[in-house]
Amino acid sequence: MFPDNLTFSIAGWVNEGVDALVSNYGDVFRHISDSLLWAIVNLENLLRLTPWWLMLAIVGVIAWHATRKVVSTLLIVGLLFLVGAVGLWDKLMQTLALMMVATVISVLLGIPLGILAARSNRLRSVLMPLLDIMQTMPSFVYLIPVLMLFGLGKVPAIFATVIYAVPPLIRLTDLGLRQVDREVMEAINAFGATPMQQLFGVQLPLAMPSIMAGVNQTTMMALSMVVIASMIGARGLGEDVLVGIQTLNVGKGLEAGLAIVILAVVIDRITQAYGRPRHREQK
Amino acid sequence: MVNLKKWLGGPLLAYALVTQSVMADQKAPVHFADLTWESGSLITEVLRLITEKGYDVPTDTLPGSTVSLEAALAKNDIQVIGEEWAGRSPVWIKAEAEGKVQGLGDIVKNASEGWWVPEYVIKGDPEKGIKALAPDLKSVNDLARYKDVFRDQEDPSRGRFLNSPTGWTSETVNSQKLKAYGLDKDFVNFRTGSGAALDAEVSSSIKRGKPVLFYYWSPTPLIGRYKLIRLEEPAFDAEAWKTLTDVNNPNPKGTRSLPAKLAVGVSAPFSKQYPQLVEFYQKVDFPIDLLNTTLAQMSETRTEPRKAAQAFLREQPQIWHAWVTPEAAAKVDAALKAN
Repeated sequence: MFPDNLTFSIAGWVNEGVDALVSNYGDVFRHISDSLLWAIVNLENLLRLTPWWLMLAIVGVIAWHATRKVVSTLLIVGLLFLVGAVGLWDKLMQTLALMMVATVISVLLGIPLGILAARSNRLRSVLMPLLDIMQTMPSFVYLIPVLMLFGLGKVPAIFATVIYAVPPLIRLTDLGLRQVDREVMEAINAFGATPMQQLFGVQLPLAMPSIMAGVNQTTMMALSMVVIASMIGARGLGEDVLVGIQTLNVGKGLEAGLAIVILAVVIDRITQAYGRPRHREQK
Repeated sequence: MVNLKKWLGGPLLAYALVTQSVMADQKAPVHFADLTWESGSLITEVLRLITEKGYDVPTDTLPGSTVSLEAALAKNDIQVIGEEWAGRSPVWIKAEAEGKVQGLGDIVKNASEGWWVPEYVIKGDPEKGIKALAPDLKSVNDLARYKDVFRDQEDPSRGRFLNSPTGWTSETVNSQKLKAYGLDKDFVNFRTGSGAALDAEVSSSIKRGKPVLFYYWSPTPLIGRYKLIRLEEPAFDAEAWKTLTDVNNPNPKGTRSLPAKLAVGVSAPFSKQYPQLVEFYQKVDFPIDLLNTTLAQMSETRTEPRKAAQAFLREQPQIWHAWVTPEAAAKVDAALKAN
């Protein structure tokens, strides 16, 4: 047994802190939440109002632009058509909207943080343990307080998704920049490139495959949070998975689960294709 | 080798004999279901304390989900479920029909579920500077007029009704009720995803003094902790209730929910072995208001259920003395004083 006089608990202190935060500053947080919500709702409505055939055509064009392969493009469009065919189109669009907003926020946060971490060893040594916490802390631990501050539904779902999905992007951006050849850097230094020129002209382009792998990982992890998001009232495919589990309707759960997989595969193939060095010269 | 066997065999044999004789001295403990919700855990601990101290029967708990605990009770793997919403789950109904389990007593009378709003939404709260936003809100029929009060930020032209999580039986009932009361156009049927999310949203709204309309049930800490008003619904009608529990019924009729019957669930072998405990469990009766306030205190001060149960037994002897024999009551009192 661990001696009693050496034990202590931070539980009471944390509970009081959260209570005070909600009672005193809850309304401020709700205002922030409402503006973010406005963006999500509009994007969602746009996606849901787009006719399904137009949506498939747009995805087809993007897929063709990314992969330049007829078979892959047809496969991607065909898989999405299948999701619509089992009656999950509307939920697919809701999930897609949620995921796109989460990914955009992750990219806006992750790439600059990754660049800073690559430049400063001190920042990196602080950031890395933080990223470990973000990736391993069970999400319900911070979900409930976030939910009390930002309200039920899409906004806390996005927060949770960003917290979980941004670490790989930061890590891979940092890694990609650090792996740029030292001799290349010496050479451009010798040519008198400014720090900005170094970064945007040389480092970022060379690190691009690694960064795109990070973006890819971020979208994948964002998708894996879909079910957790539905546990705090966000609509979409996760909701169907949850109902499937809770009512022992295995078939329904599997349908929605497969739809999530399809969405993941589609996004994965497209982002990976963009991450690969271009073959434009091959004519 | 032979030496080694002698060396080890002697002490091992002695150890086995000693432990066996010790085990034989003790009675096998009665296994209670380790219920995780607040009222369930408090009632379980109250029953356990009286069973242990008053009737000298050792007890233990086993965790599990509701359905698996009911199945375990039918197989006598556990012997007691402290708070059983009798007659709601198919597993329970089947086991009861086969005579494997029994629901004893009516332990919390007037246990109920329904649609609630905080009191300040109707009456206001001058102390906190909250105006009455829906002064004439009494029954579910008034809700359509007040949809703006409960506005849904995700869909601002409609109100938000916080339903229970998808997958709960009550979720179907509430969705059908929305249709029956003609509210499905004016209100978003917001399924909360999990019990924790529903609790967090309701307490956060109340702490900030904002209007909120939600499904909830009693006995629970939330009902005891805050001043809430339950909206009136039409009187209970068995035929209408059937239309509410059927997801596929297109024209549901409104009625208040089936009154809940909470019982102590026991297995058949248990009731044969401990008739004196069966007699006690049949008399158990927690007044619902007292139970709600006790639960509220327990959750507010974040007390362990067992400590809260001891405090309850110490402070409310007039209630539980009526359930047990005078000798058992005296023994429990003595044990409580000794602590």
